[in-house]
Amino acid sequence: MKILLAAITLMISVSSFAQVTADQIIDNYFEAMGGKEGFRNLKGQKMAAEVEAQGMTIPLEIYMMADGKSITKFEVMGMSMSQDAFDGEVAWGTNFMTQKAEKSEAEDSENKKRSIGEYPSPLLDYADKGYSVELMDNDVVDGVDCYKLKVTKKPILVEGEEVENVEYYYFDQETFVPLMTESEMQSGPEKGSMAMTLYSDYQEVDGMYFAFSMTFKTEDSDGQLIELESIELNPEVADDFFAFPVEDEETTTDEK
Amino acid sequence: MLKQVLAAGFLMLAGAAMCQSVSELKGDDLFGGLRARHIGPALMSGRVSDIEGHPTDNKVIYIGTAGGGVWKSQDGGVMFSPIFDDYCQSIGAVAIDPQNPDKSIWVGTGEIWTRNSTSVGDGIYHSKDGGNNWKKMGLDKSERISSIQIHPENSDVIFVGVLGALWGDSEDRGIYKTTDGGTTWEKIFYIDQKTGCSELVMDPNNPDIMYAAFWEHRRTGWSFSSGGEKSALYKSTDGGKSWNKIHNGFPEGQLGRMAIAIAPSSTNILYAVVESEDPSKNGMYRSEDAGASWKHTNADFGLTVRPFYFSRVVVHPTNPDMVAKAGLFGSISRDGGNTFKGLGSMHPDIHDIWFDITDSDKLFSATDGGLYRSLNNGETMEMVQNLPISQFYHISVDNQEPYNIYGGLQDNGSWFGPSKSPGGVEARDWEVIGVGDGFRVYPHPTKPHIMYSEMQGAETIWRYDDEIRQTKVITPFPVKGDPKLRFNWNAPITTSSNNPDRLYVGSQFVHISNDKGDTWKKISPDLTTNDPAKQNQAESGGLSKDNSGAENHCTIFTIAESSLDENVVWVGTDDGNVQVSQNGGKSWENVTEGLLNAKLPANTWCYHIEASVFDKGTAYAVFDGHTKNDGNTYCYKTTDFGKTWTSLADENVYGFARSFQEDLENPNLLFLGTEFGLYVSIDGGSNWMKFENNMPATAVHYIDMQAQTSDLVLGTHGRGIIIIDDITPLRQITDEIIGEEVHFMEMPTFYMDEESTFGGTSGETQFVGQNPSTGARIAYYMAKRHTFGKMRMKVLDKDGNYVASLSPKKKKGLNLVYWNFNGSAPKTAGGKTISRGGFFAPRVPAGTYTVVIEKGKKTFKTNIDVSYPKKSVFTLAERKRQEGTTKELFDINEELAYLVYELETWTKHAQMQAKVNPKLAKTGSKLAASMEALRKDLVITTGDNYVGRAENKLREDIGDVYSTIGGNFGPPTASQLEGVDLIKERMQEARDQMDEIRKKDLKKYQSALEKLEVKTPKMKTFEEYVKKDK
Repeated sequence: MKILLAAITLMISVSSFAQVTADQIIDNYFEAMGGKEGFRNLKGQKMAAEVEAQGMTIPLEIYMMADGKSITKFEVMGMSMSQDAFDGEVAWGTNFMTQKAEKSEAEDSENKKRSIGEYPSPLLDYADKGYSVELMDNDVVDGVDCYKLKVTKKPILVEGEEVENVEYYYFDQETFVPLMTESEMQSGPEKGSMAMTLYSDYQEVDGMYFAFSMTFKTEDSDGQLIELESIELNPEVADDFFAFPVEDEETTTDEK
Repeated sequence: MLKQVLAAGFLMLAGAAMCQSVSELKGDDLFGGLRARHIGPALMSGRVSDIEGHPTDNKVIYIGTAGGGVWKSQDGGVMFSPIFDDYCQSIGAVAIDPQNPDKSIWVGTGEIWTRNSTSVGDGIYHSKDGGNNWKKMGLDKSERISSIQIHPENSDVIFVGVLGALWGDSEDRGIYKTTDGGTTWEKIFYIDQKTGCSELVMDPNNPDIMYAAFWEHRRTGWSFSSGGEKSALYKSTDGGKSWNKIHNGFPEGQLGRMAIAIAPSSTNILYAVVESEDPSKNGMYRSEDAGASWKHTNADFGLTVRPFYFSRVVVHPTNPDMVAKAGLFGSISRDGGNTFKGLGSMHPDIHDIWFDITDSDKLFSATDGGLYRSLNNGETMEMVQNLPISQFYHISVDNQEPYNIYGGLQDNGSWFGPSKSPGGVEARDWEVIGVGDGFRVYPHPTKPHIMYSEMQGAETIWRYDDEIRQTKVITPFPVKGDPKLRFNWNAPITTSSNNPDRLYVGSQFVHISNDKGDTWKKISPDLTTNDPAKQNQAESGGLSKDNSGAENHCTIFTIAESSLDENVVWVGTDDGNVQVSQNGGKSWENVTEGLLNAKLPANTWCYHIEASVFDKGTAYAVFDGHTKNDGNTYCYKTTDFGKTWTSLADENVYGFARSFQEDLENPNLLFLGTEFGLYVSIDGGSNWMKFENNMPATAVHYIDMQAQTSDLVLGTHGRGIIIIDDITPLRQITDEIIGEEVHFMEMPTFYMDEESTFGGTSGETQFVGQNPSTGARIAYYMAKRHTFGKMRMKVLDKDGNYVASLSPKKKKGLNLVYWNFNGSAPKTAGGKTISRGGFFAPRVPAGTYTVVIEKGKKTFKTNIDVSYPKKSVFTLAERKRQEGTTKELFDINEELAYLVYELETWTKHAQMQAKVNPKLAKTGSKLAASMEALRKDLVITTGDNYVGRAENKLREDIGDVYSTIGGNFGPPTASQLEGVDLIKERMQEARDQMDEIRKKDLKKYQSALEKLEVKTPKMKTFEEYVKKDK
């Protein structure tokens, strides 16, 4: 009964505002997700995930750390690959052809550095990070009425020029759970189009709630679904776990 | 916390959130994953009305279009993306805030090139983020916004030139000013109800100085008038507080539409293009004293042609003597407007020109046929090929597979093209079958190589035979005793489902031919009001005569023969009559009275009549009042041959209607096209829902439904052809279904596709229309979006065996998940590189499959039927051979994978033990060596995945044969079967070698392990190893 009352209070407290503010939405979101304190204490997470590709299920291990380090590891037919890796200085990934690690463009590494602090959520203590939020007009995602929040993070570099780094959040108006985020593609032929991530399958992990299903899509594509099998909070990882691998001298010698 | 909140929340909200009845549904509740698909085309593109470039970054360019919204390029005009899809698509002006040019963009709606077919606007919009989000900022009744001038130092101060209503009197015209960023507007300069501001420009050096062209004009359904006493050019030097005429040097008497431009590099130099009573004094005027005096410099055709359509003059950003004028072909002067030459070859009818700010040789041109760019100052023009903004007046479909779509375009001829094509619907897929303006195009109902097309005013009606590529003109001519035949600009042609050789054409009479247009017979009297006051088109145009046929009136506009009874023929006219014959034209009944009784205003243009396919006395009629300055929605239904009519339009529908489609199976499923998009009703017209899933708010001029596919096909006047594939789920929605957690819709038998994947010749910069998915479309309805807890989806065979996983959709409303008929790829042995064939997932055999959704603790199931293609050269026996061989190779692939897994597991174990346990050093090393030697023969263990690739081993060869045979649709070839035999032999050798190792080295190692009580490695069973279902 106490819980029911708490829930009712939460909902009424929101619905009674003629105009809900961005900060109220953010507060309710963290409340619904298990409280800000838990998120503040997170040092990182390891996710066991699966993607379906061409009739194959590919298991992934994804690490995201509070210090910005990240890596996605997977294995295909005995080959180990890493993608979307960042060791705090260098962004890198495995070249599929050679199966060797290659550094990303310097701008990518710089942008990764600038995104340090976004984990576990750009919205957590956003003002302290120098981010700003703005409540936009309400919108609908998957048939659900949503609050739409514009989050302006640290600027990023695009082709050498600093540009605004905006992400839109769509919160279910009833539950304050984010159903989608969206940001503008900054390069390539689809530059200017929106890239979206749909979230669902929220489940509890150590008292906090996480989306266990994410679909990365654009307006014109069905996108790619990633389903999480498990999330481990604050995983123990070695210092060099994320580091750009240094090749043996033998293999890096130029052919004469 | 969340769980409890949600549990409690659901208790409270479950009832409130769900609709009880289909009549309460909104589009967002229902349409879910049902999405529109755009196929363009873009090869002829459509009318571009305005070009606006970023003031400092020449990579950023915006265009406003006549009916296709606003598009943005961020790469200097190579690729464009639509950024205004949710709003009115008819654009008058785009403006960029000079203070904040990356983000602050203003759009004034309502095209200002006021041809007969122009659409309407509904106000001004602002984006604060470069076009991602828009907010309407008022001026709702402005109808046409010609100009937006933003104060260079204060973004909150904006002046807007409103041309206003085209089709009637209006006080919402003139110059408006805001000082609070568009929250409030003040009309600061107004002439009268007929005269609007056609252009407003601001001196870039002094925002207090502005010039404004005012134009007295009016269009009706039957005439056009440009010019009058009130047309004038004004100047303000006090920020818009006062305005004075600047006509010193202009011709006397009435003036028409004028264009005005300031040379940005020398702002005392102005150019004006003037329409006057004296044609010799029309054309270009130049002032060198900021408008105090004018000198007439040129009256060539290119400068004086059709002022209502081409009044735009543009001065080069750095050269005040280089000036370009819009026109039939576009003109450019390098001597201050004294002499001109034509711009390079491009689609005619140029409406705007944009000079690049940094590259003095680069310019863009907006035409009736899209956007062109030039890298040599207009000498040669190159079309932008990714703007699918084509403007269809009408479309039709045939019954071929895939079906084709036929249609006519504003100033871009008549065409047909496929609804799908290998690699997507490309420019090369479209065939032109008529020139001029294109309108109604129909295939012969049973001989699809024969098709009919027309040009404006039925000047020519063609019958075209695509087999022999021959045309025959079949226009009906007047016969003895006939008055002049009056054909609408967009004259009705239609075919008959009762008599395939029949063709109807409408003038003021109904003409019928039963031999494909070779002989014609009139089967009606004049069915229009025949009002002589509306038939003086020769006088149309005002100061500049403009008798193009566009104003022909008192004509028949729509003809519909009942598919249930060829004697029932409905006719609607542009002057508001609806007439019906129940005896094949022997007599006609004017049933307009019943419509007037149902509150249709008299003389409202009947745009379309849809004869019901369920009952011959039932018909639907839509009426378009906008040419009488009436933007209301008029949609009516009769069930008694027109005696009485009921209005179906409700307050949820926005915009005047032009098109309608009754579903072919469910009489309650109706589709209504308005100037601002598509509406759907599933309850017979009581409740209308806007369809917005990838459907822009564009004018829907015609809707058709393809009978075999149940595709809804829309001819839009600004975004080309848009298809909503297979609307059958909408036929099934009931009050019961919308309350269900998961409801699988009834699905048809799914046919596997065997078409080659070749195709696709377009480059990145060319538009390619989307194809429909070729997979099984699994449709289910969910009363709520799935957000909490797991949701998985998979396919099982008839015995319950796992076949494939699918990615479930989780929307509220309809969800569509596509299955490509593939099972799972085989488990393939690990190696140093990949085996490409190992990625191949085989197609399933035809049969019944079960689709399972696991949602939280609940499971929902349905069966679907999968069949081989209807048309195929392969027999069932051949397919079974292909499937059997593929399965055999699949199994060999997995057997090898397990064998390699065993080798790797034992090798690892033996190597480790050899290191740590001296007593196992010898047997361990020996085992590892013999196993590694075998493994190296089975899989690639060196090289890379590209040109450093090692020679194929058994794994790669199995993969190649397996995926080749599996990828074929027919039986394996003799050569392929020989390949299979070889694979089997080699696999047997591998087994033998493995047995050999088992018997000797492994046995020794195992006994040593046993003796030393060392644990054997943990080894999965084969079943565990290859398991795919979770």
